[in-house]
Amino acid sequence: MPTFIVNYVRIVDAISTRFGRIAMLLIFVMIGTLLLDAITRNVIEIPLFWCVELAQFTLAAYYIMGGAYSMQLETHVRMDLLYDRLSERNKARMDSFTAIFLVVYLIVLLIGSISSTIYAIETNQRLFSMWNPSVIPIKVIMVLGIVLMLLQAFSIFFKDLAKARGVEMA
Amino acid sequence: MSYEAIAILMFASMLLMLLTGQRVFAAIGIVSTVAALLLWGEGGVEMPFTAAFKLFKWYPLLTLPLFIYMGYILSESGIADDLYRMFHVWFGGLKGGLAVGTIGLMVVISAMNGLSVAGMAIGATIALPEMLRRGYDKIMITGVVQAGSSLGILVPPSVVLVLYGMIARESVGKLWLAGALPGLMMAALFIIYIVIRCRVQPHLGPTVSEAERNLPMAEKLRLLRAGIIPFLIFFFMTGLFVMGITSLVESSAVGATAATLAALVKRRLNRKVLEETVRKTLGISCMFMWIILAALCFGAVFDGIGAARAIETLFVTRWNLTPWEVLIMMQLSYLFMGMFLDDTAMLVIVAPLYVPLVKILGFDPVWYGVLYTITCQIAYMTPPFGYNLFLMRAMAPPEITLVDIYRSITPFVLVMIIALILVMVFPQIALWLPGQIYTR
Repeated sequence: MPTFIVNYVRIVDAISTRFGRIAMLLIFVMIGTLLLDAITRNVIEIPLFWCVELAQFTLAAYYIMGGAYSMQLETHVRMDLLYDRLSERNKARMDSFTAIFLVVYLIVLLIGSISSTIYAIETNQRLFSMWNPSVIPIKVIMVLGIVLMLLQAFSIFFKDLAKARGVEMA
Repeated sequence: MSYEAIAILMFASMLLMLLTGQRVFAAIGIVSTVAALLLWGEGGVEMPFTAAFKLFKWYPLLTLPLFIYMGYILSESGIADDLYRMFHVWFGGLKGGLAVGTIGLMVVISAMNGLSVAGMAIGATIALPEMLRRGYDKIMITGVVQAGSSLGILVPPSVVLVLYGMIARESVGKLWLAGALPGLMMAALFIIYIVIRCRVQPHLGPTVSEAERNLPMAEKLRLLRAGIIPFLIFFFMTGLFVMGITSLVESSAVGATAATLAALVKRRLNRKVLEETVRKTLGISCMFMWIILAALCFGAVFDGIGAARAIETLFVTRWNLTPWEVLIMMQLSYLFMGMFLDDTAMLVIVAPLYVPLVKILGFDPVWYGVLYTITCQIAYMTPPFGYNLFLMRAMAPPEITLVDIYRSITPFVLVMIIALILVMVFPQIALWLPGQIYTR
């Protein structure tokens, strides 16, 4: 494999891991925010109206930013009726072919997210609620997460391609 | 092309994509994206991302990662070891007693968690190896663990019922309560099956030796303390929610915290356990969330071509079916599709088509939610595609082969179908409890 592809894979994997490791800690933010909400409302009787919305934002960031890392960890379920019977090498062949589906889906998702973000910026879109937060930050985060996912999809594609040709890439 | 043909084409191409072994979310995503682009051209470009915002509004889904986190913490916390020991001593004297005890263990785990992952992990790592060591029939006990852990989505709390509640716009509290009795009934049916089977074929489940279970009564009673922590977790999570003190999403945060505290008290929480739990939680949450994201887009396309209407016309006008026949058709079609397609995706895609029809036909949507969940349980276990099958394969001891796993489920699926029929014929099994608590 050409050096620049090897470098690409190394760098993208490292970035995905870094962001994924940050995203995975957001679970504590979700637990903490919701617990705070439950306690303040019931114990000291001060309802905090922004907690659930903050947790919602966190969840979106969590699974979108963590997406690339989760692909690296191979946690995504596959229908393995036929796939499981293939040899490792043939699996890699199949994956490098079907990667096109993943990539096209992610590209369309990315186009949608960008246009939605531009719309949010132009109209200064906010959530209709008491807290009334701007949706721009979360949309920007989602765009970044989808970009990361796309970069990771290519990285996995290169690795599969290498495996299909019989060379292993770290 | 007629809309019906489009719908069938979409399903067929989804199946084809899934067969390639590509990740499920990508397979569903690409089919819905291409369909949206072909049907609406440039207007369809936005659809995949619009789903992300719809998902954003479904905030009850916050319970999903929290329950996953909680499940992993519970399986690491050592609570299950104590429970298993309790059931072991109390039921060990019975033929097949350890299998009966495992079902009991699964019920307790199910009452603390809304998914089958926790029960699966605990069953495969604690109960299975122990029963194998004692000469239990491996096919029977593999089925026990799979069937038992699937109770996780029926006994409250339940993430599947949260998802159903969002789609059907029904109260999650009612749905959870409606799942309680059918869940216990199903557990009882499993136990009856095990006891009868082991009475007829005693070699399947030998009794535990006298010496091991003949503890002094005081010791035996002390073992019951293993039930205290699970009860507290159940009370603080589901109890406070049903009493209206905490909201749904808050209750899952309370549960996650309670499980973490329990692990802390038992001194099982170290850096490594926590790191692993958090990493696995991200992985499994991402898997589910991305599948739901893609399935929502698929559902939106279906909505756009009026598939719900088409199904209604097909069943009611064209085939002229009675309400009960429609209901049975729906369950059968779901069972059939659930074998080949991903179950979460099926819920998101098919429930919006079926729920309006259920309401039109005059059935109670809460009751239907329970039927749906039982069908889901069956789909979790039936090959070639089921989460429990996947998880089982990843977690089971090496001597249990894929063939064992496939063969193990048959009797339990039959028991589940009996339970399904019972709840269909006697809706009160599901509706009595919520009726008692939610009196208007």
